[in-house]
Amino acid sequence: MIALLLRLYPARWRDRYGDEFAAILESRPLGPFDVADVVLGALDAHLHLRGLGAATSHGKGFTMSLRIGGYAAVVGAILWVVGFGVASVDQSDAVWPWVVFLSGTVALLIALAGLSAFEARRYPRLVWAAFAVPAVGALMSAVGLVATALRLPGALLASMTPWEVWFVGLILFVAGSGLFGVACLRTGGLSRLGAAMLLVAGLAVVPMLAGTSGVVTWEPIVGALFAVLLIAFVGGWILLGIGAIRSDRRSFATVGGLT
Amino acid sequence: MDPRIPELGRFAEPALLILVSLSDGPKHGYAIMADVESGTGRPMGPGTLYAALARLEERGLIEALAPVERRRPYRLTAIGETVLGEQLQGLAAFAETGLRRLGRSPG
Repeated sequence: MIALLLRLYPARWRDRYGDEFAAILESRPLGPFDVADVVLGALDAHLHLRGLGAATSHGKGFTMSLRIGGYAAVVGAILWVVGFGVASVDQSDAVWPWVVFLSGTVALLIALAGLSAFEARRYPRLVWAAFAVPAVGALMSAVGLVATALRLPGALLASMTPWEVWFVGLILFVAGSGLFGVACLRTGGLSRLGAAMLLVAGLAVVPMLAGTSGVVTWEPIVGALFAVLLIAFVGGWILLGIGAIRSDRRSFATVGGLT
Repeated sequence: MDPRIPELGRFAEPALLILVSLSDGPKHGYAIMADVESGTGRPMGPGTLYAALARLEERGLIEALAPVERRRPYRLTAIGETVLGEQLQGLAAFAETGLRRLGRSPG
C-alpha cells in the first residue's frame, strides 16, 4: 500500500522526499483520511513541479539579491571611506583615491538595490520610496565625481558645476541612507543597529550642513558632527551588509528545494 | 491585513503551523505532525505536511538537516524566523482588533 502511494508522486519528488515520507507513512496505521491526503498531495506535487522552475528562480533571485547586497555593502563602505579619507588629506591630486571613492559609491548603490529588493517583500512602497532618494544621490555623486575628474567646463546639471553636483549628490546619498535606515527598522530582517546608525548619519547631515555653510562656526562641533556622520554612515552599511551575508549563508543551501 | 504566508495559497495555514512548530528547535516530519495535532487539536495529513514543507524549503524559510536513520529534521532559517515573526505580529494585531470590536480586552 505504501509503495503504491509513493509511486503516485513524481520521480523527482520521490528522489528528494521519498525515503523520509515512506518512514512517516510506516510509522502509523493509515486511515482513509491519510490515504486521501496523500493522493491529493501526489496530485499537488505533479502540478507544483510543473511550476517549480519559476519558483526556484524566484527563490534563488531572492537570496542572490541578499548575498550581492550584503557583500556590496561591506566592500562598498570600506572603499568609500578609504577613498574619501585619502582624497581628503592627499595634496598631490592623485587620481586613485577618487577611483576608490567612486568604486565605493557604485558598490553602495548596488548594495542599496540588493537590500531594497530583499526588504521590499513586506513593505514595497516604503522600501522603494526609501531607495529612491539615496539612489539618486549616489548616482549624482558618481556622475559629479567623474565630471570633476574629467574637468568638464560649465554647468553640469541645473546650473550646478560638477563639484556641486557631486556635493549635493553626496548629501542626498547620506541623508537618503538615513531614510533607508528607517525603512529597515520598520521592516526588520537586517541588522537593526546598522539601520539605526544609518539613521543617525542621515540626521547628522542637517547640523553638518549648518556647520559647513557658516551657520555654526565653532569648529570642534563641526568636526565632531562630521566624525559622527562618517562613523555612523560607514558602520551602518557594514553592519547591514554583515547581517545580510549571515542571513544568506543560513538560508542559501536549501533554496532550490527539489533540485 | 493579510494573515497568510505570502505566495503559498492553500498551503499558507499548514505552512504557518509548521513554522510555529519549528520555532522551538528542529523537528522531523512525524514530530511536526504530532506537535501540530497537539497544538491545534486537528491532524495534519502527511500529504499536506510534505506539500507545505517543500514550498517552505524552496523559499528558504526552512532548511533540511542531515537525516537521522530515515527521518530528516528541518529547522527555521534566519529568513524563516523573520517571516514567522512578521506573520505572528500581523495575526496578533488582527486578533486584537477583533477582540476590541467584540468589547473584550485582549490578553
